[in-house]
Formats: sequence, C-alpha cells, structure tokens
Amino acid sequence: MTDICLIFQVHQPYRLKDFPFDKIGKDHTYENTAHNTAILNRVSDRCYLPANRILLEAIKRFDGRLKVAFSVTGTALEQFFRYRPDVLDSFRDLSNTGCVEFLAETYYHSLASLHSPSEFRRQVVKHEKAVQSLLDVKPTVLRNTELLYADSMLPAIEALGFRTILTEGKKGNMSEGNPNEIHTSPDGKCRILVRNQELSDAISFPGTPLKAADYAGKLTKEAGSSICICLDYETFGEHQKQESGILDFLGRLPEETLKHSGLRFALPSDAALDGPDQKPVYHSPEWTSWSDEVKDLSAWYDNHMQKDAQKQLFNCELSLLSLGKPELFDAWGRLQSSDHFYHMSTRYSRDPVHKAFNPYASPYDAYLNFMNVLSDFRGLIHKG
Amino acid sequence: MKKNVKVLMLGWEFPPFLTGGLGVACQGLAEALSRYAEIEVFLPQTEKPLRTEGLTLRGMNWFGLPDEPGADMEIPLRPLEEFARIRRMPVSVPRPYPLGIGIEKEAVALRTPEAIRALYSGAEPYGPNIMQKVATYTEVAVRMAMETDFDLIHAHDWLTFPAAIRIRELSGKPLVLHVHSLESDRVGIEACGDWNSVYEVEKKAMETADRIIPVSRYTQECATRYYGIPEGRFYPVHNAINPEDSFRIENRSGEKLVLFLGRVTFQKGPEFMVETAWKLLQVYPNVLFFVAGVGDMLERLKALVLERKIDHKFVFAGFLSQSNVKKVLAQADVYFMPSVSEPFGLSALEAAQYDVPCVISKQSGVAEVLPNALNADFWDTGKFANYIYGLLNYDGIRKDMVEKTKEDLAKLSWDESARDVMEVYHSLGI
Repeated sequence: MTDICLIFQVHQPYRLKDFPFDKIGKDHTYENTAHNTAILNRVSDRCYLPANRILLEAIKRFDGRLKVAFSVTGTALEQFFRYRPDVLDSFRDLSNTGCVEFLAETYYHSLASLHSPSEFRRQVVKHEKAVQSLLDVKPTVLRNTELLYADSMLPAIEALGFRTILTEGKKGNMSEGNPNEIHTSPDGKCRILVRNQELSDAISFPGTPLKAADYAGKLTKEAGSSICICLDYETFGEHQKQESGILDFLGRLPEETLKHSGLRFALPSDAALDGPDQKPVYHSPEWTSWSDEVKDLSAWYDNHMQKDAQKQLFNCELSLLSLGKPELFDAWGRLQSSDHFYHMSTRYSRDPVHKAFNPYASPYDAYLNFMNVLSDFRGLIHKG
Repeated sequence: MKKNVKVLMLGWEFPPFLTGGLGVACQGLAEALSRYAEIEVFLPQTEKPLRTEGLTLRGMNWFGLPDEPGADMEIPLRPLEEFARIRRMPVSVPRPYPLGIGIEKEAVALRTPEAIRALYSGAEPYGPNIMQKVATYTEVAVRMAMETDFDLIHAHDWLTFPAAIRIRELSGKPLVLHVHSLESDRVGIEACGDWNSVYEVEKKAMETADRIIPVSRYTQECATRYYGIPEGRFYPVHNAINPEDSFRIENRSGEKLVLFLGRVTFQKGPEFMVETAWKLLQVYPNVLFFVAGVGDMLERLKALVLERKIDHKFVFAGFLSQSNVKKVLAQADVYFMPSVSEPFGLSALEAAQYDVPCVISKQSGVAEVLPNALNADFWDTGKFANYIYGLLNYDGIRKDMVEKTKEDLAKLSWDESARDVMEVYHSLGI
C-alpha cells in the first residue's frame, strides 16, 4: 500500500507599496492595504473557497478516505482573520473533519533559518500559536519556508520539539535516490518526508490539460511507501485559471486515486510512521529548497542585492531585542517574507514562474523599493 | 573573407573631427566593415588622406591637391542640374548643433578647389554656413563618385543624404541609409514639417533608399511615427564600442559624482536633469552634478540652476577632450542621460565600460543593448531621482548592475555590427 500525501502551501505576503526615497523618515506605513486586500479577495474567490469546498465535499463523499495537509503561513492566516473570515471558516470546517493536517512553518514565510536560528525559533513558535488559536490544531510536522533545509538546521528543529520534517526530494541528498520513502536525518533523530518533484510539478506546470485518471495511473507506477505531492495551493484557480480545468482535476483526483487498491491518502504525520526500520538517509550539507531546477538558495540568496538586503535586515535583530517593541518586531517579520527577495532575482527575472505576481518591472526596482523601506525602518529603530 | 563588395560611404563626422556619437559610430563601423568589404569614405574633412587595406578616407579639405580627387577635374565645377532641395532652414526652433545665429536661407555650392578646401578646413563641422557646406559636399561628392568604382552607396545622416540620392540616380547603384539621428530627435517633433528642409531631405531619402539601417528599434519607431516610413523597410543595427582597459580614480571630494555628458541641447533633456537634481538634493545633499558639454541650452541651464538655488551643486566643465572624459568617467558614481529622444547614446556604453551604472531615459536606443541600466520616461524626474538616490546609497544594486552590464557589453562589438550590415548588403543581391 502506498501513502499519498497531498500537501498544499497557502501563502499571502504583505506586499510593499511604492516607497520612493523621499518617503524615508516621513512615512512609516510600508504596505498598500487596498492592493493586498484586492489580491487576497481575488485568490480567495478563485482558489481558496472553491478548492476548500471541493475538498470538503470529497472528504464527506469518501467517508474520510481523502486526507490533505496544508501549510498556511502566519501572514496568510492574519489576513484571512482580518479581511476574509469566510476563508478561515472554510479551513476550520476542513480541520473539523479530522482528515486535514496543518503543518508548522515560519510565521512570516521568512528566510530566518539562513540568518538567525533565534528568529527562526521565535517565528515557528508564533506560527504554532496562530494555528492553534485560529484552527484549533497543533502542528507536529515542520516544513520550513520554501522547503529550505540543511543538516545544520537539525539542532534548532529538534530543540523546537519536531521529529518530522518535510523538504525537497533533491537528487544527491537521498541515500537511495527514491523520494517515495520516508528518510531519516543523519543523526537518526528526525524522520524526513521528501517532496516528489516530478509528480508535484506535473500538477503545477502541466504541459497538456491534466486528467485525474492518467495522474492516478502514474501514482500506481511509483515504487515506495509514500509519495509527497507538495505544491502551492494557489495553483488551483489562480496560477492556473478555472477555465484550464484545474479545479475539476482536483475534484476528480480523490475518486480516481481511490479506485486503485494499492493507493491510499495519508496525513504526513501518519505517513512518517510507516516505512521500514532501516530508513534511507537524507543528507543535505548545503542548503536545499524546492525552487527552480537547481533546488538551492539561488532564487532568494544569490546576487549582491539579495545578500545586501538580507544582511541589512537581519542586522536589526539585536537592536530590536533591546527595544522590545512588539509592533517593530512585527514590521521586521513582514519584511522577512521570502517574496521580497524572490523579486530581486536577476538570474530568473525572465522566467515566467518568477514573473507571476511580481509587482516590479525589474529586480532593481524590487531592491530599491525594499531598501527605501528598510532605511525608514532602521530610522525607526534608531529613534527607539 | 573575400572582399568583393565595394562600398561608397558618405559620412560627415570622423575622428578627430566630431561633436558627438555620429563620428565615433561612423569610424567604428567603417573600420570593422573594412575586414569584409572595400570601403571608401567621402568626408568634408580628414586629418590626412588615408589609404589602407580595405579602407580609404577622402577629405574634401584636400580636394584638388596632387594625387587627390579633383586634381584633374575641370575647374570650376559645373553646377548640378538638380541641386538637392536644401533651400531653407527652420530658424524658429532651437538648433542642436552650434550653428550660431543668422543661418543662411539660400545655399550656393562653392566650386573652386581652393574655396572648397577652405570651406572644410575650419574647426567647426557645422556652423552658420552649414547649408553651404552641405550643398558643396553634395556637388563635390557627386563628382568624386563619378570617378569611383563601387557597388552600393552607404550614407550616414541627413548631411550626406542629398549627395546619396543624387549618386543613386546617376549611378543606378542601391542606396543604404544609416540613420544615427533624425530631426524629430534633434529638434523635436515640432520640427517635422515640409517647411523644414532637413526634415524633407530625411523623409525623401528614406522614401527613396533601398535599405534603411536605424541605430535602434527606437529610431525605427520614430521614422515610422514621424516620417510615415513603413515598418518593413528597416534593418536596425546597434552601435558598439571597442574594448578598452578602463580604470577607476578615487573620488576624494567626499561628494558623490553624477555625470551628464553630451551636448547641452533640448534633445539631451538638461531641464529634466535640473528637476531631478533638485528633487534629489532636497533629501540627499551629498552629491555633485558634473555637466560636460556645450550647446545652445547651456546658458538657460545655468540660469535654471541658479533659480533653483542649487548652483553650488553643479559643475559646468564645458567641452572635454576624450582623455578628460575618461578621467571624469573613472570618478563618476552615476551616469545620467535623461534624453528626450536619443536614437542611440554611445556615451552610455562608454560610461558602462568604465563601470559607471547608467540611469537613462526610456526614449533611448542604447537601452535596447543595456538591459541592466535603470530607465524611466524622460519626464519622470521623481523616478530618476529615486534611482540615483538608490545607486548612491545602496551597495547591492551598484555591484549587480556593473557585473551584469559587463556581460551585456561583452555581447557588443563593431565586428558583430559590421556583419549585420554585410547581411543588409547581401540582401540587395550584392
């Protein structure tokens, strides 16, 4: 029997408003709320609500045999809470079925793991609290922002109490090369679920219109105990519009999958308990992510601008700790969202996947806008 | 490659006689082309007559001297029946070149070798008698062409177009026009009308030519929009720059240096520079604007700067020699070109070669080959100021722009441009 784990990332950042240099020191609001809300409303109506409805119906129809996991960022939860409580309710309805798991991650979709283990810890805890208070569940599986992972993170992960994590099925990291097995960390303390890149991308970037029956057929041909299909939830109705038939695909997938006796849906926390005692080892001496072909940091931490912006941003930590102002901490967290740095990528600036949702005309514009905001923010810290 | 194509090239500026990019581009291209074809260039003025493998330069300032064209010619020249239609100049609009006042309205070509040589021996390639220079060039070039063996005519800018049209008529050889700039760039779109002889010459030449090579897609669009030339007639070829070992000089003034380099004329957008500077200086005073160049708007620019009370933040250096330009480039922090309409903008390539990040207007052809420059509409001074502020204050962007621009520059070469031009020649069945 092969476990199928469907894991959907739900994320909405706080996009920055146009912040030219003459606002530095004068304007301390960095976001265009109307713009962010407009996007939130659009994606809610096109994706979150209809897709949640489809999943809820399927769970009922198949009597709990469909199981799904979500990782919802803190910034998304916050915006649902404020502007779209109906979306939050629909996630709660899913949660109440007992067939849905919510994963832990950084609150602000932050790159903190690269720069500050202490900030990473704070954010995972903050996210955990938000999930508990808004969705009434306690996450037990951790997925870091963008599936970022390196062996060096293990102490921080273990200190937070997590024993199961999700990362990318990057070739070369898996001792036996099969992403469809539960792996173990080199120290043997953590179970590692790895994303099946090929099958995940087959949904995210389909060459031809997807057919649920064909896709389920593909699943039966995979060897291994569990298959993690992990992608942006916005794929369903936003990245790919409803007219493409993507929501129908989502609706048909449970039935087509459950037709095969060798397949069953599983929650990541349950799937992680399966598999042989002698697990293959997942070893990532360098940073791994789920991005692009290279599966490394290059989408967010590559050129001078990205490195400079992150260095300046994370340099604020000590001053913030000594000031102890929660509102400044919150503003700092929002600036950590990986989206800001993704838009600064020069390597991928012509890639259509990177262009989607990019509000900036060029990586240079993205960097300058961010740096102007950061200059103002640093001014606030300086003033105390 | 076998050099079987013989090109009669008609040029106006050629180093060391130049005021801007036209001469630099003409030289860069002619030298690179001489590897693939026999190039003979007719010019008003050359330092000395030049005959090398593949490239011959003939200056009219040598006309009639022993071993030079015109030595055996019947003197005086007979006036051509149909003199190219340069009769009037629009004097009500600012002129791009230092023409001075009192431009002649009727031009009569000079016909004695002494007078011709004298006409082209001054330091000024344009001047108030520009129409006489063009008229004389037309007649002399036509005579010289009759004595020359060539397969096609390749003419650079309006000054040579009357000669080019006439030579095409007389010889039946195809005409390739090279458009480095248009009246719509130099003077503005209000200069586009049949009352303007220069506009008329450009329009007629583009309508007549067998092929048109604009220096950018931007220039092609201008020719279509303002001259009504159909889109399919163009073969854009970008300018290039010869590789050079650039250097940096430490700027010890303590003030950041923003460089404006070029003629101070309407076309180059000096007013938008002042507006940008003013906006930047309200927030960030630690910067000096260095203006290298002269032009008919220089006095107005100085007055504007005084009016805005930012004159202490401007240096007007006048026209700089090439070696001084390089010294300034080596110290500059930002190269700023807010041109209202810039067919290409070679100086931006030069700045890029000196690792100076460029902030240029979107109305600039060079933006097509410098995708890693920052650009905004020429009137968007707030955006320009934001870009300059960023470049002066944030390290990351400067480093990335310089690195990426190096890669962009590496893709450009006059040899590549010359090969593109050869393809245009071949498309004529030559």
